[in-house]
Amino acid sequence: MTRVIEVPAHFDDRSFDQFAAGFGPWPPEEKLLVDARAAQWASPYGLIGMLTAGQAIAEAKGERPLLTVPVSDEVKRYWARVGFFRHAAELFELHGRVPKAAATGPSDVLLDVTPVKAMEDVHQVVEKISETAARILHGELGLERNATMRFSMALSESCQNIVEHAGTGGWVAVQVYTFRRRLGRRVAVIAVSDAGVGFRRSLESTHAKRFGDRWGDGAALEAALIQGVSRFRDPGRGQGLAGIKGFLDRWNGKISIRSGTARLAIVPAWDDDLPLADHLPFFPGAQVQITIPAQEAEAR
Amino acid sequence: MIETIRIGHLLRETALSPYRNLVTRPTGAAVRIRIEDTLSRSDCLTALLDFSDIELLDFSCAEEIVAKLLLAQATGRPRFVVLRGLRDDQHDAIEQVLIHHRLAVAALVEAEPVLLGWVQPDVRAAFGCVCRMGRACVHDLAAALDWPEPRASAALEALTLHRLVRPDGDLRYPLLVA
Repeated sequence: MTRVIEVPAHFDDRSFDQFAAGFGPWPPEEKLLVDARAAQWASPYGLIGMLTAGQAIAEAKGERPLLTVPVSDEVKRYWARVGFFRHAAELFELHGRVPKAAATGPSDVLLDVTPVKAMEDVHQVVEKISETAARILHGELGLERNATMRFSMALSESCQNIVEHAGTGGWVAVQVYTFRRRLGRRVAVIAVSDAGVGFRRSLESTHAKRFGDRWGDGAALEAALIQGVSRFRDPGRGQGLAGIKGFLDRWNGKISIRSGTARLAIVPAWDDDLPLADHLPFFPGAQVQITIPAQEAEAR
Repeated sequence: MIETIRIGHLLRETALSPYRNLVTRPTGAAVRIRIEDTLSRSDCLTALLDFSDIELLDFSCAEEIVAKLLLAQATGRPRFVVLRGLRDDQHDAIEQVLIHHRLAVAALVEAEPVLLGWVQPDVRAAFGCVCRMGRACVHDLAAALDWPEPRASAALEALTLHRLVRPDGDLRYPLLVA
């Protein structure tokens, strides 16, 4: 028997729970078919979420899932150009014609879908993004030039969290697009996802006791993001997320972290997301989205 | 005597690649070990860490290099540490990690000495005053800031404890003044 998981037509952090719900209990026992035929658009968060699912199933020694590619040529071409199919082919049995990836990615892509497995990968990611970040963040989004460096710092710290906490590899992608529904402005989005142990298990041995019965995915996210705790006993740890929060505060940005069955967000005034969503469908590892909006003309 | 250490040079030697970005904790730790190694072979009392060849400094590296170097001063041979060549974003990263540890360090920003990190407001004011005057004793500081002498004494004592001024008898000197 095959379980069909539909990829939402508009696949982003908002519709991610619908995607996660499709898997049922983890690890899924049935063969899986990830059906992306009806996909019209996917954010970096959605694309690397699919790869994370494939990775988690492979690491759980599950049967290689199937993935049907989008019907839309435009969508297929875009997914190919950001490197999605190249990595998906290693994790899924692809069904449908996949276009060849262009030599260079689309101009609104700051960083293609990129695997992060070791600290060396973090160096590569930072080096790669520095070539285009200034042009897009300053030129298109109207951020001050020094915000480019802070954006790269946020990217570096997010990727390091995979290597240090996940216990396995993960994925990162960075893109600029227009947030029509929520903001009506261009945004730069960093999406980071891993198929690892998640925040609850990473922090459990050092922090669960303090929370008592409240301990769970939501409490673990709160401990990490709001209280700045880390599983390491080194008192200097936990500052990466603190630094990211400072950057987001300055640029009116948003961070949301989903892990296990909870999602915690620091929500700016332009968004109406819930600060904490609990009892969500389980999804392995952790998924982080950092969103920096273009500055309004009068703020420039 | 001042030992000038070019962090960009150390980074390239440590990472064996042309990186200009100081990112990831292992890289920061490797660079700090090289700094400590250089200082252990130096007779200089002041270490001037020059970041001007560095593009990006993330929080992990700021913590591994600057905060841990200062924390190690408590156990090893203490040095005076001064930073220079920092851009705004690097300045902010270092400031954040030092505040977290309640540490402070002197830095040169456009040739002006500034304090990064956590100190009481009186200590910050005293630091600025000593730097402006070129040297100061408790009496000088009290007169310059219109403070009672015990307040000036406490501020100078804290600056000395944090190794943010160089003591010579009753006088305190800015770190980069011979």
